[in-house]
Amino acid sequence: MKTSVRSGIVPILLALAVAHANGQAQGIETDPKEALQELLSKALTVTVSARILPPDTEEETPIWNAESTKLTIPGRSIKVRLDGDNVRIYLICTPYLQDNGEVLLLAQGQVWFTEPQDNENRYVSTFYSIPVSYGEKILFFPLGVSSADTPQKKHLNIELEIKIVPYEKKP
Amino acid sequence: MCPDREILSAYFDGEVAAPWGRQIAEHVSGCERCRAWLAGMESTRRALADEQLHEWRAPMERVRLRILAHVPSERPRVSMWRRQMTLPVPVAVLAAALLLILGVSLAVVTTRQDMGYIRITKAPAGGTEYQFAVPYDKVEALLKSVGGSDANIESVMTIPKNVKLVPVGEPRMGRADEFLRKKP
Repeated sequence: MKTSVRSGIVPILLALAVAHANGQAQGIETDPKEALQELLSKALTVTVSARILPPDTEEETPIWNAESTKLTIPGRSIKVRLDGDNVRIYLICTPYLQDNGEVLLLAQGQVWFTEPQDNENRYVSTFYSIPVSYGEKILFFPLGVSSADTPQKKHLNIELEIKIVPYEKKP
Repeated sequence: MCPDREILSAYFDGEVAAPWGRQIAEHVSGCERCRAWLAGMESTRRALADEQLHEWRAPMERVRLRILAHVPSERPRVSMWRRQMTLPVPVAVLAAALLLILGVSLAVVTTRQDMGYIRITKAPAGGTEYQFAVPYDKVEALLKSVGGSDANIESVMTIPKNVKLVPVGEPRMGRADEFLRKKP
């Protein structure tokens, strides 16, 4: 069985196919301004404060601190890197909005550490999933926590504080 | 002895050289049989020479016309837009499907390069789905414009060199109230 077609119809069919696919891709596009407002209404500000605290004493004044504030949207991670003489620390935070309005923080910590004595490199990676409220402080101790109960109580503590708040447009 | 028929035929056509031709002529003049054969050849030649041209030209023209009647005539020129082609149905269906796929692919490729749209779907239950189809550098630019700060996704903090850090345990993370600093 055979069918006849006019050869001139081929480019018309192609054009129709392209136009149809374009319509499929753009047909339900949202107004960019409205979409941007929606996007900003869900945007989050993530603040990471890094501190090095003296050994476990009453003195809580950090001997070094730094802060990084990043704007992100739910599902998009921010990354903070700390470079030290014998240590490199990564903190990767991805906030997700939950149905109850709270934030689920998915965090990954990576620590690259060189032992001073034998120059041996160590790598530790950990994942955390913590539901947090806006403004709630989350602490990350990449090298562990020293306390009066531990034999390493004379060592410095490094801690990273994570705080997530909704984005507020600057006046 | 009479010469061969082929020699006689050559003699009749004047193709025999002079000394041999003279000998054959002498023989023919005394040979009734050869003279009669040559006379027959001569009468045949005259008959062919007297044939009128029109007697064979008419049948030849008829044959020519019959042959031309079977030769396909030159087809008139048809515009490309009106030209038809015949395809088997499976081939036509396959060609149409390929055209559609090509069209969709072309559309996706052409629209993706500049697909700067955000699709927001609000579900009846209250949930909202966001789909961002923005080139990566544009997301960075967008966040930079609203954040007003460095848009690098990675922040780098440099710990002073005189600070020597030593692992004191496994990494830990939790809410701040879980890590109340113990006083000595």
